Amino acid sequence: MSATKIYAAHKIITMDADQPEATHVAVRDGRILAVGSLEEVSGWGDFPLDDRFADKVLMPGFVEGHCHLMAGGMWRFLYVGFHDRIDPEGKHWKGVGTIEAVLERMKQAEAELPAGEPLVAWGFDPIFLMDRRPDRHDFDKVSASRPIAVMHSNFHLMTVNSTVLEMANYTADLEVDGIARDCDGEPNGELQEVAAMFPVMRRLAIDFRALGRSPECLLAFGQVCKRAGVTTAADLINDLPDEDVADLQRVTAGDDYPIRLASMLNAMTQTAVETAERALALARQSTDKLILGGVKIVTDGSIQGFTARLRWPGYYNGAPNGIWNVAPEQLNDIVAELLHRGVPMHIHVNGDEAIQVAIDAVEAGLRKHAAPDHRTVLQHCQMADLAQFEKMKKLGLCANLFANHIFYFGDQHAALTIGPDRARRMDACRSALDLGVPMTIHSDAPVTPLGPLTTAWAAVNRLTASGKVLGEAERISVGQALHAITLGAAYTLHLDDKVGSIEVGKFADFTVLEADPFAVDAGEIRDIPLWGTVLGGHVHPI
Amino acid sequence: MPTPAAALPVTVISGYLGAGKTTLVNHLLRHPGGRRLMVLVNDFGELAIDADLIEAEAADMLTLANGCMCCSMGGDFTNALVAVLDMASRPDHLVIEASGVARPARIANIARAESDLVLDAVVTLVDAENFSRHLADDLIADSVTDQVAAADLLLVNKADLVSEEKLAALKRCLRKINATPPVMTCVSGAVPVDTVLGGGKSVRDRDCAPPDDHDHEHEVGYRRWSHESSGRFDRDKLKQALAAFPDAVLRVKGVVFVSDRAAPLAVHRVGRRISLADVPAFAAAGGTSRLVAIGHRSGFDAELLNRLVEGALVTRP
Repeated sequence: MSATKIYAAHKIITMDADQPEATHVAVRDGRILAVGSLEEVSGWGDFPLDDRFADKVLMPGFVEGHCHLMAGGMWRFLYVGFHDRIDPEGKHWKGVGTIEAVLERMKQAEAELPAGEPLVAWGFDPIFLMDRRPDRHDFDKVSASRPIAVMHSNFHLMTVNSTVLEMANYTADLEVDGIARDCDGEPNGELQEVAAMFPVMRRLAIDFRALGRSPECLLAFGQVCKRAGVTTAADLINDLPDEDVADLQRVTAGDDYPIRLASMLNAMTQTAVETAERALALARQSTDKLILGGVKIVTDGSIQGFTARLRWPGYYNGAPNGIWNVAPEQLNDIVAELLHRGVPMHIHVNGDEAIQVAIDAVEAGLRKHAAPDHRTVLQHCQMADLAQFEKMKKLGLCANLFANHIFYFGDQHAALTIGPDRARRMDACRSALDLGVPMTIHSDAPVTPLGPLTTAWAAVNRLTASGKVLGEAERISVGQALHAITLGAAYTLHLDDKVGSIEVGKFADFTVLEADPFAVDAGEIRDIPLWGTVLGGHVHPI
Repeated sequence: MPTPAAALPVTVISGYLGAGKTTLVNHLLRHPGGRRLMVLVNDFGELAIDADLIEAEAADMLTLANGCMCCSMGGDFTNALVAVLDMASRPDHLVIEASGVARPARIANIARAESDLVLDAVVTLVDAENFSRHLADDLIADSVTDQVAAADLLLVNKADLVSEEKLAALKRCLRKINATPPVMTCVSGAVPVDTVLGGGKSVRDRDCAPPDDHDHEHEVGYRRWSHESSGRFDRDKLKQALAAFPDAVLRVKGVVFVSDRAAPLAVHRVGRRISLADVPAFAAAGGTSRLVAIGHRSGFDAELLNRLVEGALVTRP
């Protein structure tokens, strides 16, 4: 038994309706022994008082319900995105807003790189660079000899320099979809989608899957989480072979590892029966800090990539409907089996047609087998309408809405992908809550930066990158947003009995803030500085 | 990364759920025709390989006694592909079993973009019994249409389960989506393997053997043709000749000498797609041009093929 300790704080926001605020919390054996006033918590005995948080605000540790381990490993590459991000070491990377700034940052990095090593950058977003779209000639100026590949922020495109085009044997006479050309018919360096990028990824040994696997990447991911105030994070797809599970167990077990990690098994690489067996076996390998047993199913693609499955009238710009990663009838089989076996499911659905197919699959599965408290989560669920939320409530489904999209992609959704009307009701947090659908919000990091306070800010304000309000009626209150990033997310992970609020018996997981989110302007929640976190009683300052 | 002499031919097997992709994969693995096949599949779940054929079995790799291998792609198709290309001893032919809703053109595009791969064909299986139902389902109509549209060869499978009239109507329907590729009908994917798999580094003797030597039940209704010549072809005329081959001809391959260069060219025709490409590191076999074809017996006019090919020769033996 470890020593009992009492923490004093300026304010403790508990997310416990019976006691929304407190000033002291007693911690024993990594769990919350008591919460209330000093007098109340001292009833357990006269324990040492730690007042390092006396002027801080404690919240339940933030829970990120949908991100990827890659969010740590990506930092092996140079960040050249438009929006600010913080790396695992805590370096604040300012967003770069002009082509010149992008090239300048790349030149500096190039100068420090050992000879022969390729320069790989990520997060590039030419949409925001307004004037023109950079091509190979721009990156040839960074280096005419070193291979250079710049991943765009959506991970579906990359722009490379001439050296890389040569390595890939990309010449003017090679006619392949996705190799963009200039007006002379020469490849201009922009490569679109997997096929065109594959020869480059192979030759430069860029392996995204590895970015979420090595122990170093797991450690980096933990640091990224800590710096965002996250104490529990869900890694939303992993093949989880035995050797990776061993690494995950070993790395997360360290007292200095700052998060609890939930990792969801890829449910699309084996039969439903095999997936269920594997998930149940993995669940038995869970620890306090590694939560296994849930699975991920990907139905459609993304809205901004025009690969999401939309119902009539489809894409605003007339693009053809998107793709399925799993056939609807196959989804029915998987869902029925996993509901039957009690395996928690996270189903990626962006477009409203995919949402409907997932809802129908769950309804059909529930007609076959009772699945009490299954809490199947529709992940992203960006285009759900009221009728769909209503159905989700009735069927016991949860929603993890992609609130960050409103800020990062909202302008494009209104202008290009689904038009202003449907964009106004995207990621409809208010509708979900009004209809009683258990709800959380997420970043999908590294797609958008990890940061629950920013995600909460996005759901509260619904401001786009250009500063417009998109769907005022779908705004939620600060209290609702804070619930979403703590207890709301914990509920979707079946962890609400362990984390998500500051209540007796739960893990002593706290996020330590420099200011009270209820006391600042709603437009400034994302600017509240973080002091650090506490995980199971271990203090992790930033 | 060492660049090997020859690009690895890739055949993409596409088709909606239940069309018989796994059955066809099984058939190919049993009758690889001397090729060392590597087959990438989504999962081993349905792949019922005879136990006596399996030489070694690992979590994601089956090695067969006939030299073929079968690999489960796991979470990442591109990783599996890199692993195949990095193998110390590459297979002769790569077969990729696409998922039931995959867009085969996207996979074929990888083989087009990667210079160490060469696209052999997109072969799409069509479920004779259920295709029209799938086409009427708004959720998947675009997926199955796309699969037919991307095909170099169409295999109408489970043909025994429908009437002649229904089969004819289905073929008309397929033609409307994609008029180009030859349509074959089969039961349990049993077709001559040389129709599904072309490619290969050279034309082997067995390809030129008369049909009787193949002696497989699934060769019934098909016939083979071969042509040898010590003369040289006019490149363009040969292309025209190949384009004029009747629809009964499903595949043509060969190695030919042309008038405008010393080194020979590899010829491939699958469906209506014709390619004439360099033959890397080719040991010229005495300057003999060789062409072989396989096709439907009905409408296969060997004399016409001979006339067309010989008309493209510029220097006669």
